[in-house]
Amino acid sequence: MSSTDFLSDYSVRPNVWDEMYWQGNIREHYQLFFDSLIQASVTELSHKDDLAKKLFMSQGITFTVYNDGEGIEKIFPFDIIPRIITAKEWEQIELGIKQRIKALNIFLRDIYHDQFIIKDGVIPAALIHSCPGFLREMVNVNVPFDIYTHISGIDLIRDSDGSFYVLEDNLRTPSGVSYMLENRNMTYRIFPGLLPKNNVRSVKDYPDLLLKNLRLLAKQQKNEPTVVVLTPGVFNSAYFEHTTLARLMGVDLVEGRDLVVDNAKVYMKTTAGLKQVDVIYRRVDDEFLDPLVFNPDSILGVSGIYYAYRKGNVVIVNAPGNGVADDKAIYPYVPHMIRYYLNEEPVLKTVPTYGMDEPEHFKHVFANIHKMVIKKTNESGGYGMLMGHAADEKQVAVYKKEVEKNPRQFIAQPIISLSSVPCFINGKVQPRHVDLRPFSLYGPDGIEIVPGGLTRVALREGSLVVNSSQGGGSKDTWILG
Amino acid sequence: MLSRVADAVFWMARYMERTDNVLRMLRTNYIASQDEIQNFDWQLWVDGLSARSEAVVKVSNYREALRYLVLDKENDSSVLINIVRARENARSVQDYITKEVWQCMNDYYHLIHSSSTEQLLIENDPVTAIDNLLRESVLFYGTVDITMSRGEGYTFLNLGKYLERSLRTLDLLELKMQEIDAGGNEAMHWKYLLYSLSGYEFHTKRYKNALVSPDVLDQVFMNTQFPHSVLYSLHQAERYFRRLDSISLPEHFKEMSFLLGKSISNLQYGINSNAPAAEVRTVIVNTRAEIKMVAHKLAIFYFGYS
Repeated sequence: MSSTDFLSDYSVRPNVWDEMYWQGNIREHYQLFFDSLIQASVTELSHKDDLAKKLFMSQGITFTVYNDGEGIEKIFPFDIIPRIITAKEWEQIELGIKQRIKALNIFLRDIYHDQFIIKDGVIPAALIHSCPGFLREMVNVNVPFDIYTHISGIDLIRDSDGSFYVLEDNLRTPSGVSYMLENRNMTYRIFPGLLPKNNVRSVKDYPDLLLKNLRLLAKQQKNEPTVVVLTPGVFNSAYFEHTTLARLMGVDLVEGRDLVVDNAKVYMKTTAGLKQVDVIYRRVDDEFLDPLVFNPDSILGVSGIYYAYRKGNVVIVNAPGNGVADDKAIYPYVPHMIRYYLNEEPVLKTVPTYGMDEPEHFKHVFANIHKMVIKKTNESGGYGMLMGHAADEKQVAVYKKEVEKNPRQFIAQPIISLSSVPCFINGKVQPRHVDLRPFSLYGPDGIEIVPGGLTRVALREGSLVVNSSQGGGSKDTWILG
Repeated sequence: MLSRVADAVFWMARYMERTDNVLRMLRTNYIASQDEIQNFDWQLWVDGLSARSEAVVKVSNYREALRYLVLDKENDSSVLINIVRARENARSVQDYITKEVWQCMNDYYHLIHSSSTEQLLIENDPVTAIDNLLRESVLFYGTVDITMSRGEGYTFLNLGKYLERSLRTLDLLELKMQEIDAGGNEAMHWKYLLYSLSGYEFHTKRYKNALVSPDVLDQVFMNTQFPHSVLYSLHQAERYFRRLDSISLPEHFKEMSFLLGKSISNLQYGINSNAPAAEVRTVIVNTRAEIKMVAHKLAIFYFGYS
């Protein structure tokens, strides 16, 4: 395929930052990859696309939709063309995320202890206490090394000028890291030789770093702590990720029914009897963790585990109660936190956010609805959103009524157009919108971020919704060295 | 290891062994029905391989029988359902088994669901379809052997495999005896039994007579060099079980050793190859009950069943 053929179908939308293509030219950091790409014919690319699908299927990197007993296997859509980020851009991202995680972690420690940030009038008390993620049970609980946000996934997007914005913070049980690892494994199968040629930094240290942190957290009690990953079970859509992490770290993957609490200690049921567990990387939400404290109907958790945690006999990762820090209504206050706790200016930008409980905001947002997106503060996965530019009057009216019922539960933001990158779709290379979720690990040694992340892509033309539940896919993310 | 994981590994191995045995048997039966046996009674096999509680399904020809026994999603004992169950067990212990074993299970799962398998089985040459499936089965055994660590999981896996194998051999023998009762050349039925157990070549080398009952029964029950014999399978199960000594509660270990030892002794000293068919049937029923008791106690002592 010649360069002109290649670009003939590549039409970047106006006011969108395309990460590869700029004013008729290929950006410098994409050039090397682009030169290799145009040597391949459409048929070759289609073969690569098929190969990737086949590999995902045969390796069981799938999720199962269950109906009538037997499940149907599906793969998360994967786009073969990697997304490329320069070393300089990454340096900024890394700096910004570390700063943000540090501030959010101090915020969690503060909010569950002295609440200086409320007393000093930086954040209103009502906002915190109306937040469903705020757990009264965590007040005055001391967590090991004062770390709450052990694993976080901060979602970043790029506006039309190319600058990075934080879209949301995920501090509870962010998922997707297994796809970061698997997408990379896929790339060296479908583009042999290109990773070293482009000097792409490796992501494979992630499980080792995670395990190191998990073990260090229990070091105060034990030299050889027992670490487990707690999964809700095979029916969970992220089950593949749970098994991958357990396998790569070489630790047991347990379900709630494998654990039991006795005398405020947590044990797992093994063939040789009970064995004490010291650190739990849980992928079960707070609400389902302990039926004695939270949702009494939950069978995913373990009775008494929260008491064991408060007694300091087991470490739970991430700490319960983090939902207060990644609530969408708290999001606009994060820059204030950074200034308040760290006395620094935020490195990463924040999208202007309007709390709908302010009548002025409410008026402003609905007056400019075609430029706005309204989201529920405690929903994720792209659910419960209204994209103003794509909604008709009737939909807006229905949604407005919803907001009026409980305005605290909604925020609005101006629609950010999201940068685009090349994707191979239906035999053509076309631009599609993406976001980026790098994964940061906070342990007793500090915050570390593997150079990479999950790039989620909105596969439908013009769509800005990247969530996998809403027709999104993913692609490999290259950070150049 | 976790009790739940041990349980799932055990059952994964049982379903895989069952699949392998059933496929070998179907392959032999199909060839028999094409070549030597006029009016092959597929209904007997359909009834014999179905769970007792299921409603009886009537088949009128070999295609229907094969479709029902291999691909039918409604048939709780079909090969497809066995593979689905093996894979569901494997999925729940994906972090414990190796990536290669998991991948193997996946390929098997996708193959049995593929349209090519269905087409070969229903419209073209069923032997090719079964051979393709059996290739995945031996790949599974090889992959387990080459990649799995020799820890507890491997022990439970082999316990599942050999207990299931002994049960399959007993079941198959019982069905064959029913076929012989219904009439036909006895030697020919014995030959197909041995083909189903991959033991015909062994028989011709080891036994000098031409396919007589005492020799066949000796091979199928007692021959410790024949990998599908009941005694060989129980010896293997016992050998693997002994490895659990260090992790077991002494009283559990003792009881399990007793049960396994008893079933082996009963078989070794309690059967005469020249015995009349009725007596052989009783041995089959008793041995089966003893093996099921071993599996039952294993579940209670090691898998956390109550």
